[in-house]
Amino acid sequence: MSRFELYSPEGIRIDGRRWNELRQFHCQTNTHPNASDGSSYVRQGNSEVICLVKGPMDTTYGSSSTKQLPDSPVLSISINHPAFATMERKKRPRNDKRLTELSIILKRCFLKTIVLHNFARSLIEVTVTVLSFDGGLLATCCNAITLALIDAGISLYDYVSAVTVGLYDQTALLDLNSLEEIDLSFITIGVVGDSDKLNLILCEDRLPLDKLERLISLGIEGCHRLKGLMNDTVRQVGADLLSKKQ
Amino acid sequence: MSFVLPGNQIQVKSANVVLGPNVDIAPGSINETVLTPTTAGMLKVKKANPQSSLYYVESNTKRYVPQINDFVIGVLFGAFGEYFRISLNSFSPPVLLNQYSFPNASKKNRPRLSNGDLVYARVSAVERNVDVELSCIDATTGKEGGFGVLSDGLVFDVKLAFARYLLFNSDAEIFTQLVKRCKFEIAIGVNGRIWIKTDDIKTTIACVNVIRNSQNWTKEELPAKIEDTFKVLKTN
Amino acid sequence: MGLDYDISTNEQNFVLEALKQDVRLDGRKLNEMREVNIKILPSEYGHVEVSLGRTRVGCKVSSEIVKPYEDRPFEGIFMINSEISPMCSPFFEVGAGGSGYGVGSNSSQANEEVLISRMIEKAVRRSNALDVESLCIVAGKKCWAIRADLQFLNYDGNFVDASCIAVMSALLHFRKPDIEVAGEDVVVYDTNQREPVPLSILHIPISITFNYFNPNGSEENIKGDLNNELILVDADLLEERLSLGSMTITLNKNQEICQMMKSGGLNIDASLIMNCCSYASKLVDELTEKIHNVLKQDAAVRTNKTEEKELRVFNER
Repeated sequence: MSRFELYSPEGIRIDGRRWNELRQFHCQTNTHPNASDGSSYVRQGNSEVICLVKGPMDTTYGSSSTKQLPDSPVLSISINHPAFATMERKKRPRNDKRLTELSIILKRCFLKTIVLHNFARSLIEVTVTVLSFDGGLLATCCNAITLALIDAGISLYDYVSAVTVGLYDQTALLDLNSLEEIDLSFITIGVVGDSDKLNLILCEDRLPLDKLERLISLGIEGCHRLKGLMNDTVRQVGADLLSKKQ
Repeated sequence: MSFVLPGNQIQVKSANVVLGPNVDIAPGSINETVLTPTTAGMLKVKKANPQSSLYYVESNTKRYVPQINDFVIGVLFGAFGEYFRISLNSFSPPVLLNQYSFPNASKKNRPRLSNGDLVYARVSAVERNVDVELSCIDATTGKEGGFGVLSDGLVFDVKLAFARYLLFNSDAEIFTQLVKRCKFEIAIGVNGRIWIKTDDIKTTIACVNVIRNSQNWTKEELPAKIEDTFKVLKTN
Repeated sequence: MGLDYDISTNEQNFVLEALKQDVRLDGRKLNEMREVNIKILPSEYGHVEVSLGRTRVGCKVSSEIVKPYEDRPFEGIFMINSEISPMCSPFFEVGAGGSGYGVGSNSSQANEEVLISRMIEKAVRRSNALDVESLCIVAGKKCWAIRADLQFLNYDGNFVDASCIAVMSALLHFRKPDIEVAGEDVVVYDTNQREPVPLSILHIPISITFNYFNPNGSEENIKGDLNNELILVDADLLEERLSLGSMTITLNKNQEICQMMKSGGLNIDASLIMNCCSYASKLVDELTEKIHNVLKQDAAVRTNKTEEKELRVFNER
C-alpha cells in the first residue's frame, strides 16, 4: 500500500499515537483584539487555523442583495485556504466548490447553535484562515469558529466540537493527520456540548456500514475531550480577565 | 358558450355591450359590433342589466394578476411603516395591506399580526405605477365581512379558474358532496389559494386532497373518488 | 429577484401536527417513500427519466473519445453536469450555483444547488461507481470521456435521491460504441455494425434523504434527552422547506456508505442516526432491485426489436 505503516501491529500510528489519542490540541482566544470582535487560534497537530468574527452588526453593512426573512439573523462564513497552507503550493481556483460546500456546512451547523432570537436583523461575519493544513480541515475550522464566537460574546447554546475518525482495517483511529487522511476512509463528526447528539456528519469515502457505529462512538468521545480542552481555555481566559479587573 | 381564440371575431347584435375580462373591440370594427377575445378560453355572455349584456372570456391563467374587488388569501411576511407586506403568490412581488384597513383599527388599536399569518382580504386598489393594496373591510358595509386573519387549518394551491369557479358557485357539486361527510370552514381566494379547517387533521388532509384532485374529476365519478380518499386516510 | 416560496405559519403548524399523528399531506406514513418511476426512453442508450412523486429528473449519458488528463494517463474521464435550471422551479435561478458565485454567499438557493451537485458528485464519481480505468483506450493518448447530463424537470423536493437513481440507471443502461485498437489507431464501429458495449459499473450507490422535525422546541433538542425528533423519508417540497435539517446517506447493496452528510440542522442522537442508516440500507436494496428490473424489461424489449430487424433484413434478401 503506502511506504508508511499507518498502524503498526503494536498499535502505534505513524506519528507515534495510539488509536484513541488526539493530536496535541492548543487553542487561544482573543488573538486579534483590534481586527475583530472575536477571534481565535486553534492548532490540532500541524493543522493551524485562525478565525475572526465580526458582529453582531447591522445587516446593511453586509451584502444586502439577498432577501432574508426580516427577523432571521444572517451568518456568513468564508474559508480562506491559501497556497502556503499545504505541502505543494497548488493554486486553487477562487470559487473552489469544495470550500464553498464546507462553508455552507459550517454555516448550517452554527445557525442551529447560535441563540438566534437574540440577534434579530443582525449580521455575523466569520472568516476562517487556514495557516497550515495537516488533516481535519472541517473539524479544526468548526472548533475555531466555536471559540471565536464565544470570544465575540455571541450567545451559543453549547460548544460545537468536531473531530475526524478514520477506519484502518478493523480499527477506528481518532483525529487523522493528512497522511492518514489520504489513505483511509474517514468521517468528520461534530457534537454539541456533552451530549451524544450529532450536529454534523460528513463522510466522503466508501466505508462499511457496520463500522459506522464504532467510528461515531469514538468520534463522540474525542469531541467530548476537545470540548473539555476548549472549555478549560475559555475558563482560564475568563479567570484572567476577572483578576485584572480588581 | 363557445371556445374562442385571439383573432376570432365575435359578431354582436345589440349595441349595448359591456366588455368583460379578456374581451376587446376588434380593430377596425364599426359601431363596436365586432369583438375579439384577447386570450384563449370559453366565451360567456351574461345579462348585465335589462338593456345590455356582458361579454367575457373565461380562461385559466397560471399567475394571478390582482383585479379590484377580488377576494384573495395572502401570506404576511413583513411590515414597514403602517403597512404589512403580503405575498399573494410564491415568486411574485408583494402587495400592501394598510394596518388601518381592518375594522375598528386605530392608532391605539392596531391589529396584531405576525409573520407567516394568513390573511383573507379584498383587493382595494389597483393602479398603474403604485403598489397593489388590500383591505380587510367590506366595501359595502364598512364592517368585517368575513375578512381578516385565518388561524389554524391548511392552505393549498389550485388552478386560478377552479378557485374562481368555486368562489362563485357555492352550490358546486364538490361542496354538496363534501358537506355530507364532514363539517368544515373554507375560504377561497381567487389567487388560487384555498384555506380549509376541519375538526381533525386527517379529515383536513382528506378534504384538501378531494378538492385539489377534483379539478380533474368528472361529476359522475366524484362520489366514488371522495369515498376512496376518505377511506384511505381513515384506515391508515 | 431572490424571491422564495411563501409558506404560512398555518401550514407549518399543520404539517407538524400531522407528522405527530404519523400522517403526511399526501397520505404517506413517515417512513414511506413516494413512488419511484424509472422510464427509459426508447430511442437511445442511456437516456432515463426518473420521477419521485412530482419530482422529475432526466439523465442523458453520452460518450466521446478525447485525450486523457496529463496526470492520469491510464484513466478515462467521467463528469456529471448537474446545473439546476429555472425550468424545474422559479426557486432556482440561472447560473446561481455555477461560476459566477463566490465563496460565502448567502443566497439559500445557490447553497442548495452547490450541496446537491457536490452530493451527487461524491456519491457517484468519488465512490468509483464507474470504473474509469476501463475507459482508457491508448494510455496517455486516447480515452473515453463519459458525460452524464442531469436535467431537473420538476421540483417537488428531494432532488438528490431522484438524481442519484437517474444517473445510476442511465449509466447502467448506456452502451458505448465498440472499438478496435491497432497500435495507436482506433476504429470505432457504428452501433449497427457491431453491438455496442456496456460500461463497467462497479457498484450502484443510491441516496436516501431523511428530514427532521422537532416536536418540542429547540431548547429541548439541545439540552433535553427525550430524543423523540420526528424523522421522515423522502420529503416533498413543503416538508423540505419546513424541516429543521436533513441527512443524506448514500449506500450500495454491499452495505457500504459511499457518502453521508448531515450538515447542521437539528442535533440528532447517534442511535437515531444508526436506525436511519439501517432503514436506508433496506430501502437501497429495494431500489437497486427496482433499477435492475426496469433494465431487464428494457433489454427484453430491445432484443426483440433487433431480432425483428434481422429477420426482416433476412426476408428481404
